[in-house]
Amino acid sequence: MAELANIPWNLILPLIVLQLILMMVALIDIIRHRRTNGPFIMWIFIILLASLIGPILYFIFGRRQE
Amino acid sequence: MNSFSVLLRKELRENVRNFKLYWIPIVFVIFGILEPVTNHFLPEIMKSVGNLPDGAQFNWPQFQGEDIFVSLMSQYQTIGILVIILAFMGTISSERKNGTATLLYVRPMSFGSYFLSKWIVINGIILGSVWLGFFAAWYYIQILFNPVAAGDVFAFLATYSVWIIFAVTVVLFFSAWLSTGAAAGLSIVVLLILQIIDSVIGAFWTVSPWKVSTYATMMFSSISNQSGFWMSIGVTVVLIGALMFLGINSAKRNAAKTTV
Repeated sequence: MAELANIPWNLILPLIVLQLILMMVALIDIIRHRRTNGPFIMWIFIILLASLIGPILYFIFGRRQE
Repeated sequence: MNSFSVLLRKELRENVRNFKLYWIPIVFVIFGILEPVTNHFLPEIMKSVGNLPDGAQFNWPQFQGEDIFVSLMSQYQTIGILVIILAFMGTISSERKNGTATLLYVRPMSFGSYFLSKWIVINGIILGSVWLGFFAAWYYIQILFNPVAAGDVFAFLATYSVWIIFAVTVVLFFSAWLSTGAAAGLSIVVLLILQIIDSVIGAFWTVSPWKVSTYATMMFSSISNQSGFWMSIGVTVVLIGALMFLGINSAKRNAAKTTV
């Protein structure tokens, strides 16, 4: 537990919050939009598991325009 | 002027609906925070996960706040430019392909205001994201490193913005001229590969748009090449104007290629 207390949470917290917001935006979009390149479920796993790069990949490659 | 404001509102609404107005700023700010934090904690990160032998001694370079701005800029030069290209490569070409353009082109609108409305909205999104990213980094640099003079930071950001506007104009021009795939390929050649070539053999000349980012980093140091700097800015601005003119013309010429 001592290591956990040593992490400067006040510096890291904004990063974690922003990543969660990005992930939420991607999930809201994928659930409302539902048209993806490739399987819908695969993209949900990519967004959830690949923390920073997943939502970016979804918005660039996974989201079918129109 | 009236149709121009309608087009401007249409662009803005489109970028809200496809979420580009939200995810692009978040991505730039995340990179802006990540850069100072990882550079500050690098010795500790290496100690805990780097698998160094016992008693290994490393002299980590002492980064100044200014160095972090420069290293964040080189992140934006690759990842940021890639995001710009991939997010906006289809701005005009995919409208031709999916039929939105047919709905637009039958109306009495000038292609100038059509192109300009896209140019303004995309530049607004990208410049806003880049500035937000650097401001986030600046906040962390004040905490973790030394304070940086505000005048230097704003001179750096203003110079770098000229390069970003050039990048957006290149992507829009290729999107007006060619199909989405070709636009992406040529934008990558012009913005990423020529940039590498310019940094490898660019010592032979001092004036080029790809040198604007290098001149931006010089705002932090005392080295300066005033004439080269202003010539590069001038050349870049002229190129932006020329690319916009060509983009408007090729959007007009390609209007017949829309799928109905």
